[in-house]
Order: sequence, then C-alpha cells, then structure tokens
Amino acid sequence: MRRRLAIVLFVGVLMSAPLFAHHGSAAFDNGKTVVLKGTVAQWVYSNPHCLLTVDVKGEDGKVVQWVAETQAPSIMYPAGYRKSSFKIGDEVTVSVEPVKNGLPIGRIREVVLPNGTTLGGIASAPVSPKGQ
Amino acid sequence: MFRALSGPIFNKTGRVMLNRFLILTVGLLIAPLAFPVGTFAQNYGHSRSADGWPQPTWDQPPVTARNKKPAPRRDLTGMWGPAAGHMGGLQAGGVLAKPNNGKPENQLPYTPYGLELYRSHKAAEGVDAVLPADNNDPRNNCEPLGVPRYNHYNVRLTQIFQDATKVAMLYHYDNRWRVIWTDGRKLPKVVDGGVEIDGELREPRIFGYSVGRWLDDQTLEVQTVGTLPEDRVWLDSTGRPISDQVRVTETFRRVDYDTLEWSETIHDPKVYTAPWQTMKLPMRLHDPGTDIMEYYCSPAEQDAYDKIFGSVASQKK
Repeated sequence: MRRRLAIVLFVGVLMSAPLFAHHGSAAFDNGKTVVLKGTVAQWVYSNPHCLLTVDVKGEDGKVVQWVAETQAPSIMYPAGYRKSSFKIGDEVTVSVEPVKNGLPIGRIREVVLPNGTTLGGIASAPVSPKGQ
Repeated sequence: MFRALSGPIFNKTGRVMLNRFLILTVGLLIAPLAFPVGTFAQNYGHSRSADGWPQPTWDQPPVTARNKKPAPRRDLTGMWGPAAGHMGGLQAGGVLAKPNNGKPENQLPYTPYGLELYRSHKAAEGVDAVLPADNNDPRNNCEPLGVPRYNHYNVRLTQIFQDATKVAMLYHYDNRWRVIWTDGRKLPKVVDGGVEIDGELREPRIFGYSVGRWLDDQTLEVQTVGTLPEDRVWLDSTGRPISDQVRVTETFRRVDYDTLEWSETIHDPKVYTAPWQTMKLPMRLHDPGTDIMEYYCSPAEQDAYDKIFGSVASQKK
C-alpha cells in the first residue's frame, strides 16, 4: 500500500459475517473488505449502532467521508469499544465490509487505533474489560 | 482467647476456651473433606472495578464435576447470561432451534394464513431478508416486541427475582420486565380479542398472562397466553409470524447451581399446524453485582441512524 491515505479494496476470502441485528446483512457486500486509512471526523456511541465517520483522502486529493458502523454500545463494550475510543483527528485504519451499492458506508470488521491497539468487528470475540 | 490459652489450661475458664478452640480447629480441618472442592467458591468470573462497577465477564470457567454445585430447591434467582457467550442469545438469524436459513429441517409448519403472514413481513434478517429501507419490522418504530419475541431478541444478561407468589424476569433489551405467577392461579382462557378471566374479556398484553408451576424442585414450567395480535408483533427477527392465539410453554430447568436451561415451545393453531420448539438456551450464572449497560430503542436515535446509514445503505446503484 503506497498511499498513506488510500483506499485499498480486497476481495477477500473472508466468510461472510453471520447475521446480526439491527438492519441485517442484505445491504452488505458479504465477503468483501475495504481498508481505509484516514482521520476520525465523528464517533457516535449510541443505539441502535455506533457510527464512526472517517475522512479518507483519495489519490486525486479529494476527501471521501466514510461512515462505518458497529453494533450497539452494550454489544461492543466486551470487544473493547468505549465512548472515549476515538477522538476527532485520530488517524485510524478501518477495515469495513462495504454496502453493495458502492456508497462509502460499511460495517466495521477491525479498527487500528493510533496507539496500535486493534479493536475487532461486530463478530469479534469479547476481550476482557479494562482492569480485568 | 490467646490470654486464656496462655494461662493455666486446667482452670475452669481455660478448659472451656481450649475445648472451643479444639472444636473449631478440628471443624475447619474436616470441612474441606466433607464438601467437594469448590462448594463454597463462585464459578462465575469477576471483573475488577476500583469504583465497584464490575462489567460482564463472558469467559466463564466451565462447570466440571470438580466445581459443580447442586441446584437449589425451587430457586431461579440470579443474573443469567447465555452460556455460549455474549452473542449466544442474539438469534438474529431466527430462533435458536430453527434458524431461518432455508434448510429443509428448519422449514416451519405454516397454516395458509401463517404463510401469508410470513410473506407480508419484510425482514432485515434471514433467508428472505430485504434492504433496510424495505424492512417493516415493528421493532423499527420501537414497538414492544412482545412474548415470545423478547426471548428471541438479543438475550444477554437476564435477571430473575422471585418470591413466594411470583417470578420476575428483567430483560436486557429495552429494560423490559415480566411477571410469572407461581401462586396457583389459573391460566386464562384464550378467546377472540384477548382472554377470559372471571367471565370477563380482558385485554391482550405485551407480555401476556403467565403462570408457572414447579414440575420438580429444579424445573419451572411457564404457560403464557393473551399476547398481542399478529399485526403488532413478530416471532423473530426474520419475520416469522405469531398470533394472539398462541400458547407459549417455557421451561426453566436449573441443571446445577451455575446452569439454567431455558426452553420454549409454541402452540399457535392460527399460524402453525403443529406445536414446535423454538429454543433451548443454556444460561450461566453471572456475578449478581454486574453492571448492565443499557440497550434500548429510541425513536430519535433510530431516526438519526436511518438518515446517516440505513437509507444510504438501501439506495440503488
């Protein structure tokens, strides 16, 4: 990956994620993963899904704003997601399963935080809560 | 005690103190031999919290012959979570025993009316899932899910309290609770438009009318009738239907101190030609002090989510 802020498309061999509440899987391009590098524009920690907005600069210099979702806070907490996990301006790498229609939204498979910590996606196994 | 023991041991007071000391010592030595290891220990994990707000611990140690403790008599009290972990009671793809995945063994015995109802439901999950914008799940408007769907929707930490007359269940999703009466009252008769109690027509309820009876010292059987009609509720997140003629039978079997087996069978002649089992969910006991994060349906938050994500995801290419 040459470009620091490039969008890299993987047509992966990942198994499609099992079905998850709230809106289902019909909209998603199951088995595909897009890796985004960009800066956090917003982090909404709410029901029914948390939403991470990331500004991603393309080769042409234009910024595309991606919105990536997780499940609800109570579901994602065991996987390490906190209200304070992202701050505006954080540089992150986000792997998402995009929607089929090609618009810049998807659901998070994995996020690498500025400190190198990796948070898993919707199906991730729970990690121990802080202090455990 | 030390002063007494250090003095002459044959005076009256000293002898009494020594005897007590010996009995206590011998008792403490014998106790571990009389009870299996783990009898007094808790088998659920603990998350440390300096301020006393422990979070759920899903990596529970297994119940083994060594640490297994007997089930208490007629007692379901506790904080329970799916034994398979925090996703073990999700059931997004349909009820646990019959996921809606198109496999022949999971086809349901629909009546013609039941099949018609199913086809009118546009679910976001399951083999016939539609795009978010086409989804007509009543949940999207934060409508109550009703019984039995609360048992099939994101079941996580579920608290059970009981007294001599009832069992109360506190569901995680949307902070809902229900009461199961165990005082011997009759299960109401299902009639058109609700149930009949003391010769009067009574209204359908979100959680219906539940009565329970102990089949044995570890098993509570619960019957529920008088639930909401089919234009208000679904059976599961894949759009399978349920009607107000349903009789839901649940069994809560305390397998051992740390394990509760929650089973459910539905009998709904309006929608299904035969009774069928919807779930058999093993639950594990958790730390009763566990802090449970809220998981609720807020129309405002749902609307914001739909605008930012759901409607965009549903746009055609």
